[in-house]
Amino acid sequence: MIHCKTELMTEAASATLVGEGVRFERIRRITGYLVGTLDRFNNAKRAEEHDRVKHCTLEKWN
Amino acid sequence: MMTSIRKRDSRIVPFDVSKIADAIFKAAKTQGGTDPELAMQLARQVEEQLVARYGDGVPDVEEVQDLVEKTLIETGHARTAKAYILYRNERTRIRVMKTRLMSILKDLSFKEARDNDLKRENANIDGDTAMGTMLKFGSEAAKQFYECFLLKPEHSQAHSEGDIHIHDLDFLSLTTTCCQIDIKKLFKGGFNTGHGFLREPNSIQSTSALACIAIQSNQNDQHGGQSIPNFEYGMAPGVAKSYIKNLDLALDMRDADPEFRAQVSQTLRSYLTRQEQADSTSLLLDEAGQAVVLETLCTKLSEAEARHLMDKALARTDKDTYQAMEGLVHNLNTMHSRAGAQIPFSSINYGTDTSPEGRMVIRNILLATEAGLGNGETPIFPIHIFKVKEGVNFNPGDPNYDLFKLACRVSAKRLFPNFSFLDAPFNKAYYRAGRPETEIAYMGCRTRVIGNIHDPSREIVNGRGNLSFTSLNLPRLGLKHRGDIDGFFRDLEALENLVFDQLLERLEIQSAKKVKNYPFLMGQGIWIDSDKLGPEDEVREVLKHGTLTIGFIGLAECLTALIGMHHGQSEQAQELGLRIIRHIREHADARGRETGLNFSVIATPAEGLAGRFVRLDRAIFGSIPNITDRDYYTNSFHIPVHFPISAYEKIRLEAPYHALTNGGHITYVEVDGDPSRNLEAFEDIVRAMERMGIGYGSINHPVDRDPVCGYTGIIGDVCPRCGRHDGEGIPLETLRKIKGYIKDPRTPDEVRESGHKIPNCTL
Repeated sequence: MIHCKTELMTEAASATLVGEGVRFERIRRITGYLVGTLDRFNNAKRAEEHDRVKHCTLEKWN
Repeated sequence: MMTSIRKRDSRIVPFDVSKIADAIFKAAKTQGGTDPELAMQLARQVEEQLVARYGDGVPDVEEVQDLVEKTLIETGHARTAKAYILYRNERTRIRVMKTRLMSILKDLSFKEARDNDLKRENANIDGDTAMGTMLKFGSEAAKQFYECFLLKPEHSQAHSEGDIHIHDLDFLSLTTTCCQIDIKKLFKGGFNTGHGFLREPNSIQSTSALACIAIQSNQNDQHGGQSIPNFEYGMAPGVAKSYIKNLDLALDMRDADPEFRAQVSQTLRSYLTRQEQADSTSLLLDEAGQAVVLETLCTKLSEAEARHLMDKALARTDKDTYQAMEGLVHNLNTMHSRAGAQIPFSSINYGTDTSPEGRMVIRNILLATEAGLGNGETPIFPIHIFKVKEGVNFNPGDPNYDLFKLACRVSAKRLFPNFSFLDAPFNKAYYRAGRPETEIAYMGCRTRVIGNIHDPSREIVNGRGNLSFTSLNLPRLGLKHRGDIDGFFRDLEALENLVFDQLLERLEIQSAKKVKNYPFLMGQGIWIDSDKLGPEDEVREVLKHGTLTIGFIGLAECLTALIGMHHGQSEQAQELGLRIIRHIREHADARGRETGLNFSVIATPAEGLAGRFVRLDRAIFGSIPNITDRDYYTNSFHIPVHFPISAYEKIRLEAPYHALTNGGHITYVEVDGDPSRNLEAFEDIVRAMERMGIGYGSINHPVDRDPVCGYTGIIGDVCPRCGRHDGEGIPLETLRKIKGYIKDPRTPDEVRESGHKIPNCTL
């Protein structure tokens, strides 16, 4: 009985979807402070952020 | 014979009687009139009167309209006259609406921030809220008022045409920019926020809470951000006081005699007070202090028992400190300032206090920042600045080296702390060992205030700040003088003079303010020497400790305009770039010597300005490749963000500008990959900055976060941890499995202290 009940719960749980409609947060530094969302950037800064190139990679090669 | 009429904008156009007839007929129609002939007849009467009155002269539109009204009334068309007057008023109202201010206010009222760039001028303010919009209403109206009535016409013109930019113009007649708040001094004896009195804090929790309140209160007296230059030094007494409380608690748990408990607390408190009065950073937790504690306890207890109690109290105090720092981070990300439109723009500097109390504060503020906010989010404020100093924290064997390593680890995850370098020659010049107020501090984005020509005996950071700043549009100067270097420098010199005069004009307005205008900043003695003034006194004298600052935008575009290349592309351009900024600096220094005031040079951050200047210049010069063809000008002396260059080369080229920009600077390095996985490389970049003479630097890496599984790092289209797309749902069971596989780089103790919150961990 107990075994069955646990399985039923698991099935119910796996059917439950979480996180629908939850957007990724993208934090960037703007002039010197952090902004939690690119939506608040003004047009010029959005363009600037978009153009940024990386100066080095910290990816480890192993 | 009358042939012309003067319009409202002073243009003279041919007189046309049918226009009067049309206007009369339109008014008559609203009242049921149907006879255009009658309208024309009335119009001719008006024309006759005009000729009689003005002859060959030129009447203006208002005079004509007055006559139309008069004629309509005199000929018995009262209702039409009324309709005409209404129509005329309506036209006037529409005209006013069309003027700049009204249309700005209309956009502020009816457009959303995403459609209105003005509402996103400052990413820190939520332009969609009631108070955010209200602030904008005031700000835009104030700017128009000052441009029309308060600024000298030549300054107003240079600003509106975009030769220069007067920052925070909306506050021109109101206040100054920012201040480095000495919390240690503020807390002594308690303080008044302007709305109520707060006692001197008696624990680390209340000390940190009061620090937030101080920042919040001061933020409302000034238009810039607020900085604490001596964060851990200011917090340390709170740690010692919490220790005394925790020791008392431990004694109570052991059913110690109340009289003995009171005696212990009393002895330790007076010891602590003596240490504080001697202005010592050695408080209670170091060797000397702990010997006093042990000795006091051993009057009644065995040494073993005393040591056990001390261990308990210390562990408890560490936990309290963590909670206090966590509270501070939470408060500074949620407290309202400026009528709720913002959270306080706060910076805290720390890293050099080697006392056990100071170290406990540094360690815990870093750990609390690493753990993140309630759901593990990256805190946006305060801006953390870790002060790097050889012999203190920079090299293995230095007393705070472990904290420097921790700062790198936290910055690799959370973008803060930034790093300030006390050994950069221009910063080291002010450094005096054992005097934290001589350690360089940075404010907000980059502001730096330490030198003091007004009072060379007070070359300190505490209680001082920037008064106002104005920036030069360098690319425009370059475009005016393509190839003509001498002409460029002549114009530059003239423009610098214009800015210095404008800064002095503004200072005069600021100086005439009284202490009562700044109830916290001046009323509570935050600003240097303001404690010697009364509420009705002018702030003129004490403001002289502040800086008057000239900034600049777009050195890279300026160089490209002048010689076809920017300083990332050729050493020749680098030489010219340094010559330009040196010119500004030497001129500012000369003005300083003449006036005895602190003129300084800042590498302007350019948030709203980056776009404004380029728009104005494109209208004049057109779209020129690599100069005006992007939507922004490059920040101050930076190598353009789109130019491929190695991190070390960027640091090498930008470092010399740090020495010249004594009003503030910052260098960024953009890195790819997850720096948390390669802390050695991260630290290498910080070390390179130190060695090459950077004053203030920071490493940028994308920090994305999936709120569902808690992954923090780089997220493309798909979350690398749980595999969901932006906005997509995932099965709960999958999520549970994932959470079981999360690896945490922290020690078990650190995890426990953070209340088992999951920060950005790697799978």
